[in-house]
Amino acid sequence: MTSEFRHHCIVPPYLLERLLKDDDGEVRQAALNTMLTTAHLRGERAVRAAFPGLATPGNARRTIYDCRNTTSLPFAVLARSEDGPEAADVSVNRAFDVLGKTRDFFQRVFARNSIDGHGMRLDGYVHYGYEFANAFWDGRQMVFGDGDGRVFSDLTGSISVIAHELGHGVTEHTTGLEYHNQSGALNESMSDVFGAMVEQWTLGQTAEQADWLIGREVFTPQIEADALRSMKAPGHAWNTEKFGKDPQPDHMSKYVNMPDTYEGDWGAVHYNSGIPNKAFYLTAATIGGYSWEAPGLIWYEALKASNSETRFQEFADTTYRKAGELYETGSAEQMAVLGAWQEVGISITGVSAGLARARNRPAGKNGDATAAVRALTAQVQELSRDVATLKGRATAGG
Amino acid sequence: MKVTLATHGGLAAPVLASLPPDVVDTHALPESDAAELSRLVAAAVPASAAAAGNPEPPKRAPDAMSHSITVEEGGHSSVLVQSDADMSPEFAALLRWLKEHVARD
Ligand SMILES: [Zn+2]
Repeated sequence: MTSEFRHHCIVPPYLLERLLKDDDGEVRQAALNTMLTTAHLRGERAVRAAFPGLATPGNARRTIYDCRNTTSLPFAVLARSEDGPEAADVSVNRAFDVLGKTRDFFQRVFARNSIDGHGMRLDGYVHYGYEFANAFWDGRQMVFGDGDGRVFSDLTGSISVIAHELGHGVTEHTTGLEYHNQSGALNESMSDVFGAMVEQWTLGQTAEQADWLIGREVFTPQIEADALRSMKAPGHAWNTEKFGKDPQPDHMSKYVNMPDTYEGDWGAVHYNSGIPNKAFYLTAATIGGYSWEAPGLIWYEALKASNSETRFQEFADTTYRKAGELYETGSAEQMAVLGAWQEVGISITGVSAGLARARNRPAGKNGDATAAVRALTAQVQELSRDVATLKGRATAGG
Repeated sequence: MKVTLATHGGLAAPVLASLPPDVVDTHALPESDAAELSRLVAAAVPASAAAAGNPEPPKRAPDAMSHSITVEEGGHSSVLVQSDADMSPEFAALLRWLKEHVARD
């Protein structure tokens, strides 16, 4: 059974960390075996990074600067550093804390050491500009405005927004998806996927429990809008008198064509991201459990296997291929990916519609040996979670 | 002189796209404010013109916004455009002044 476990299960690094410390010698051995096999897929560097003790100390250090409502980054003042004391400014502390959570997420879930995979420092700039209702990634740092106070609030108030911006850095350092048209919409979608996963990971939410909203906190209370975007229901995040209805499409048939200019949002990148966003949500909802486990790993591996000009079709095909490589051909995970893209109007190249329809077959009921292994793996994961929870309680109680 | 500020793109691009541009008319301003606005516009022109004349395409920083300031006076109109990722201090000063002075509903 151990060999099946080893060959067919990709256990996320954060889980391996726990399993390697388990009191049960067999569990530790299984985790070690899994880790060794996983090394072939991830590369030795990434596996080593999964162990906090082996990570280079001092890497991915956070520094938060205060722009004091100017637009000049060079003249911003240091507000908080990795080892420095907490600041008096709530925006500074929020940016610091969430950049830390996002850094930990990439390290523990994907064994990725910061934005570039090599411990790149995390520089955040807050209080940028005057009534600046935006946040952006400029290729080196993350910049956050205070909002205008009428429509938009302080952008550091949103975990999904901060993680979205850091996510742009990750995408830039993996595939460099060009920021226009379909590659740009994929770039946007990956940032939303990272943003949602970091928030759900922080809150311990399953795909079912999460609301899948991006930027839930960005609108002021006067504005009747749920969030900037909804990954679960693109096009339904807001419907207001002041600025109309959320225009995000949730299907290829509604793809938005706009000019490749600033005015055209570089070919509607913040509109069409709704299509791959929905595909990720559907994948996570179908697989069930935590989005950052199988769904997140499939998307992250597909991102790394993409290039700067990857479009929706190619990306969809890559997620399908990665799901087959990471799990099994025909696995519940791969079928979930297939069905999700099908539902947003993208058919996986070379796969018949009949196979796509089989996607609704529940996981673990295939009746073969691999299904039994998969079910067992799920049980082991659940058990390890329980053990970790108990250990946490014991520590808290002691 | 009429000055119009339109903002495009950014994290909330679809929201901004449906908001009307902000307009300031110097006829409706006290004389000192009108003079201040004229001075800020004049100061922002050289950097914006240099940016517009740059043969390199503008840097596409993810989620950065673009700000277009249209100045109309005596039948002439000119447009100054800069983005979050590469904004001159003079343009930023004009942008701030406009945000402080547009009429809010
Ligand atoms: Zn973005």
